[in-house]
Amino acid sequence: MHWQIDLFILTLVIVCALAAINVRDLLGAAVLFGAYSFLMCLLWAIMGAVDVAFTEASVGAGVSTVFFVAAVFQTTRRSKD
Amino acid sequence: MMGVESQLVHIAGQITLVLLTLAILIAFVRLFIGPDQADRIVALDLISVLIVAYLAALSIYTGQRSYLDVAIAYALIAFLGTVALARFRERLAKERGGSEDTDEEGK
Repeated sequence: MHWQIDLFILTLVIVCALAAINVRDLLGAAVLFGAYSFLMCLLWAIMGAVDVAFTEASVGAGVSTVFFVAAVFQTTRRSKD
Repeated sequence: MMGVESQLVHIAGQITLVLLTLAILIAFVRLFIGPDQADRIVALDLISVLIVAYLAALSIYTGQRSYLDVAIAYALIAFLGTVALARFRERLAKERGGSEDTDEEGK
């Protein structure tokens, strides 16, 4: 693949990770982490590791996003301090 | 002889990949600056659809069929995540008595 597209998607991955750390909203953080997993899946597929991309798509993008959303919903949203 | 057609497919694949990358970038702008949670959820769904298209275009461009398996599994799983996020958003809006503003966190 062309290195420009690789570099572009890697930059998006880094920006997405930093935004997932810095965002104030918990559901927004879960959504950004889901986008991070999506992009990592695309990046694995571009690099040629198809089975890793398969696992990342099923575990990272699907199950962990659902678990994060369930965890955010089961806990209280506002901290006490 | 690899004629004009395969070269045409090659050029079209390159253009498609570049345009899909730009589309992912534009959807990411909405994902980052999205003031509401619904904006972020819709942007995430749009990004997942774009990545499925990207994987399909990559399968045509490189001529490997195994990308299509990834695209199928990806489309199934991304749907699950979007449904979970939408259900969460709906229950949250019901708990707050129909108010749609959920952005004053951490103030």
